[in-house]
Amino acid sequence: MEPPVEETRVQFRSGIRGSNPEEMSFGFLPAHEVVSTQTPSENGGSSFTALLELPPPQAVELLVNEDFRARTAPPIFPSNTVLVDRASKFSVFATAVNSPEVKSVLSASCSMKPDMVKLEPMDSDSHLNSSMPAASDQSPKSLKRKEKEKKVNETNKKSKKVVPNDISEGSGDKLPYIHVRARRGEATDSHSLAERARREKINARMKLLQELVPGCNKVSWTAMVLDEIINHVQALQRQVEFLSMRLAAVNPRNNINLDAFFAEESEPAVDNYHSMFTASMWPERQVSGSRQQYQQLWHLEGHQQPIWAREEDNSNFITTENSLLTFDSSSNSGAMS
Amino acid sequence: MQNTSLKQEFLKNWIKGLQLHSSFNKNTTIFERRKAIKLSADIAIASTRNSTTRWSRALIADASRDGSNKTLIEKISGREVPHKASLGLIRCSKRILKRSRFARRRAAPVAGLIAKKLVKSRTRALKRLVPGGEGMDEISLIKETIDYIVSLRVQVDVMGRMATAADRLIPFKTI
Repeated sequence: MEPPVEETRVQFRSGIRGSNPEEMSFGFLPAHEVVSTQTPSENGGSSFTALLELPPPQAVELLVNEDFRARTAPPIFPSNTVLVDRASKFSVFATAVNSPEVKSVLSASCSMKPDMVKLEPMDSDSHLNSSMPAASDQSPKSLKRKEKEKKVNETNKKSKKVVPNDISEGSGDKLPYIHVRARRGEATDSHSLAERARREKINARMKLLQELVPGCNKVSWTAMVLDEIINHVQALQRQVEFLSMRLAAVNPRNNINLDAFFAEESEPAVDNYHSMFTASMWPERQVSGSRQQYQQLWHLEGHQQPIWAREEDNSNFITTENSLLTFDSSSNSGAMS
Repeated sequence: MQNTSLKQEFLKNWIKGLQLHSSFNKNTTIFERRKAIKLSADIAIASTRNSTTRWSRALIADASRDGSNKTLIEKISGREVPHKASLGLIRCSKRILKRSRFARRRAAPVAGLIAKKLVKSRTRALKRLVPGGEGMDEISLIKETIDYIVSLRVQVDVMGRMATAADRLIPFKTI
């Protein structure tokens, strides 16, 4: 009984995300192992807030208002935090230009009766703690779900407890539980409900990840999206290695003057980094030659032997005093404390 | 434009580490310097998270496994990392994973099974990439990946700017 209804629901979403087969979730842990709602304790809230320091736009106020309205209404349809969270995550990486259209979307979606998903406490907290607007990808989802619910004659078979949402900014640890409701024709045991909740969670986060990694939106299927993500992470890690090698070859004179640098509040432009290095350099680094080698290093992933052998010749010019690592700490002691 | 404070914090931590390293030893080889720079950078970016994320804790724990890094880590992050705690978590989750692997073998062969296999292998690969990923369930894995990617980007950005700034100091280039 469950599969047909699930299929239609998945197909709805396929309009947004491409065709996802039913078995989109990882299926790592069987459902009966994951009924608990406690993840290993980590509060991601502060991390995301620090990351995304956007000033709270007006859309967030709307968000709060919607929640209050929902609370006063009969508790059957609280606000759809999952979508809002997802949307807000999405918009953080977009610009603030989205906010006007966001506001209209929010007001439109207020009247809807979204479907509920049971969220784990911790990750909702992380979403809610950061001040973020909701973006427009909430609307297609909620619209489609509303249609779907109208079609499927809603019979509330089961519902779980609801803890009221506390979305006030910077609020500490009030964590929402959201309804999971079984639709008509679905199995209503706790296993499938939990599994559905879990899948919803995974889908939500995958969507976020897709938006973060460039080039993932065109790819429809989980495995390929994961491929892109893996490639991206690998590329970033390789870049770090590459840059650290490049920096190791640099030979400025010691004095890095950090006082002027840290006095500035703005985003460090390249020129500001420049001010960190005072005059009197040792022009012994062989830039272009080593650059070619670095490029080769970039391409040859496993074969680093020949390049490093070539580097050895250059190291004759590199003396110990002239490395990036030796700083004149006397001038910096004031800044560093 | 984004993540300005994060970048600044990373830079501060990183330079702290580099200064500490330079006061310790004078490396003659470029490889050791590279290692030291990378180590300082990794610990710096992990400590901007203040142990709120799993990957940052795992990264610092990995680095602190080598005793010579201890002072570096303490200087940058300002705290001592309990070594045993993180290991225990990883072990516990692995047990659950093993149990689930056996349970799944009884499923009837369906076309979707291939899909699941592919997804599974990729998640395993992702787990290997993200520090501390082995002990995570896939939900937190995705969350950690998001955070990790953003931090990596910050790291790359700041290091890149430093490198270009350093490049500009060279008055003339020799081949």
